[in-house]
Amino acid sequence: MEQNLQYFLIPFLNWEMMLLIWVGVFAGIWVGAIPGLSVTMAASLLISFTFSWDINSALALICGVFVGGVYGGSITAILLNIPGAPAAIATGIEGYPLAQRGEAGKAIGLCTTVSVFASFVGIIVLAVAAPVIANFSLKFAPRDFFLLAVMGILLIGSIGGGDPVKGITAGAIGILISMVGMDPSTGEMRYTFGNIYLMAGISFVTAMIGLFGVSEALTQFRQAGLKSPKQNLDRIIPSWATFVKYLPLSIRSSLLGVFIGALPGTGGDVAALLAYDQAKRSVRNPSRPFGTGAYEGIVAPETANKGAIGGAFIPMLTLGIPGDAVTAIIIGALYIHGLKPGPMLMIETPHLFWMIVSCLSISSIALLVLGLISVKPFAKIIEIPKEIIMPVVIILSVIGTYAIQNSVVDIFYMIGFGIIGYFMRLYGYATGPMVLGLILGPMLDANYRRTMQGAEDQFLPFLQGFVTSPISLFLTLAIVFLVFSQTAVYRRWRGIQ
Amino acid sequence: MKRTFIGILSVLLLVVFAVSAFAAFPEKSLQGVIMWGAGGGTDNFARAITPIAEKNLGQNIVLQNKPGASGAVATTVLVNSPADGYTLLYGAENPANYRVLGLSELSFHDLQPILIGVEGAVVICVNPETPYQTMEDLVEAAKADKKIKMGNSGVGGLPYVAGAMMKGIHGIDFNYIQFDGDGPGATALMGGHVAVMPLALSTSVEYIRSGRLRGLAVLTTKRVPQLPDVPAITEIYPEYAQFLPWGPFYGVFVKKGTPDDVVETLSSAFSKAMDDPRFEEYVKNSGGFKNGATGAEAVQFLEKFESTASWLIYNAGGAKKSPADFNIPEPKK
Repeated sequence: MEQNLQYFLIPFLNWEMMLLIWVGVFAGIWVGAIPGLSVTMAASLLISFTFSWDINSALALICGVFVGGVYGGSITAILLNIPGAPAAIATGIEGYPLAQRGEAGKAIGLCTTVSVFASFVGIIVLAVAAPVIANFSLKFAPRDFFLLAVMGILLIGSIGGGDPVKGITAGAIGILISMVGMDPSTGEMRYTFGNIYLMAGISFVTAMIGLFGVSEALTQFRQAGLKSPKQNLDRIIPSWATFVKYLPLSIRSSLLGVFIGALPGTGGDVAALLAYDQAKRSVRNPSRPFGTGAYEGIVAPETANKGAIGGAFIPMLTLGIPGDAVTAIIIGALYIHGLKPGPMLMIETPHLFWMIVSCLSISSIALLVLGLISVKPFAKIIEIPKEIIMPVVIILSVIGTYAIQNSVVDIFYMIGFGIIGYFMRLYGYATGPMVLGLILGPMLDANYRRTMQGAEDQFLPFLQGFVTSPISLFLTLAIVFLVFSQTAVYRRWRGIQ
Repeated sequence: MKRTFIGILSVLLLVVFAVSAFAAFPEKSLQGVIMWGAGGGTDNFARAITPIAEKNLGQNIVLQNKPGASGAVATTVLVNSPADGYTLLYGAENPANYRVLGLSELSFHDLQPILIGVEGAVVICVNPETPYQTMEDLVEAAKADKKIKMGNSGVGGLPYVAGAMMKGIHGIDFNYIQFDGDGPGATALMGGHVAVMPLALSTSVEYIRSGRLRGLAVLTTKRVPQLPDVPAITEIYPEYAQFLPWGPFYGVFVKKGTPDDVVETLSSAFSKAMDDPRFEEYVKNSGGFKNGATGAEAVQFLEKFESTASWLIYNAGGAKKSPADFNIPEPKK
């Protein structure tokens, strides 16, 4: 124990690591805020950049960028309705209407405070219960990932913007587009027309930048010349009473985030969306109706995606399995620096575990300070006239898209999605369900087929699995409840209008 | 007179250009294209060797990941760039199978190897809760019961080819379940969602050491130093020798037709990088072995691999086209 405390204190006693963490958080906020520049990308660039460094310094910088980057994605979602990363999609749904009411400062302030809280929840769970959760997450079979994806698809009801037919249409098209490319299980080509670039598939980040970034910019051009809402920046830091009011929701959503983050292959994006949906269903009296600027709708996704950071490290540090895309890159960094990520990592190099816990803690403190300092300058961004800020958004979208995998073809896709998204908005189709379909389509497809292969293509054994495994049974019942709770019968029974 | 003058001048210019072209490679930074995504085996190899090779070359190598279609996207990028040695491809074994799988018309024959860097081995792994204690147990069980679930990374991947070997030798078949790669497959194997999966040594070594997985045999002719207790497959079934050596590898390539002296310069810079202690440390920890083949030796290595892998895939029924269509010779028994 004393030993562990000593390891925990390493970054606190080393001014170089301390500095790197703060620099990392600051840089991360900006990288995260720019659509397309992602934490994943920044982390992989940092690996080459920090090759000749000491591993401790390299990890300090990467941890800082990770925490800052997840936060940064939400800032542009609130201010401009352009999520910087998929994990911030839900935040924009409530955050942007708030910014339009002149409450951007308050929204970002709340977002920062609960983010830091959730980040600590994730770190504490990581420090206390990592091996237990990692072993539990291994028990998730392909069938359970399939059920999680189905649960995610139900979100179309939450983010579909009122008209179910339009929401489902957009979601279905999203899933269809996600199928383009090489079939992951047989290698067969789907909708590729023999084109090598279509074979590589269409990255959902590319689609997201087009559908949220460019299409939003195009839509706002229609309002060019209109005066932007004046921002009230008096009370940025939420009062203690506000914080306590949202505490139960914060705890619930951050724990959900930690767990979804700990599942191999699902990260902050799925966590944030599920948490938003969960809040929308369970919060009885939101500050405003959901969709028009409910603070609960910011608290839930923001705490979930920050909790997912600590969660993603759980399988990585205990088993050498990445919890999300960023931790996959950190595993690579450990190899290159001569370490052996795997189940023995915690036993052979315990200092690494406690050092990462400590780097994440310092990053969260840095986030609180840097986040709150930059609320005012950030909020000013909205007051920049549309005709100046939106072209900048389009340029950043192009750069960001190219940077994902250095592909010019992706820029064309992105612009194409931007134009499609513009017309969707014009005709009352929400773009959220389409991106949701793109994110969840591959998860749905691959895991359904794995389950079916496991049941040797027999329908009965396939169905049996849903009730014989406890995790699957729980998830199946949850889905049944989610659907049932929207029916008139249930609402009458519970006395909800 | 005027004509002679122009003649002399042009010869002089030509000489100047030629000399500068020969002497100065590399005179600007190079592009390095990685065929798989960030954090994967190919990416790790590229990011471990490049900083050292850069020093030997005296120029920067700007790395970028261009994943997609089993690396066929990155291979196409290389083949569409000029054959001047300024574009490097960091790749794995995949181009050997593009043609038989119908992924692309390209193959290793369109590339010039600079260096075959690291080689790996494949270990047949099972979940420790399964009753299979030895390779014989597994083979007997598979013969008796056709329902054993085997993890796979898609047609043509390493586990698929390993499964094809087992099918060819023992006549056994498994219930294949596809995962997105070695890593996700290993995770499912540890969770007990599949019973067996052939995994790269680099992926499995830490899991076997910690008892999370049980290694039944390594697909090599000699035991590997990382796993001294796991038998080589030929100790149990000598028939496997016909397919070996076979396993994953990572290498650096340029477009075919790149001038010989440029290839030479690059090969020597990368070969030298392999002897750097930091790179050796990486190789040791990543569960690989140094190969280091360059020139004709590397070309021969690639041809042997192509022949083994493409005929195995074809005989297992996974190929779209016969290797014979591309004049790929059948491996000698």
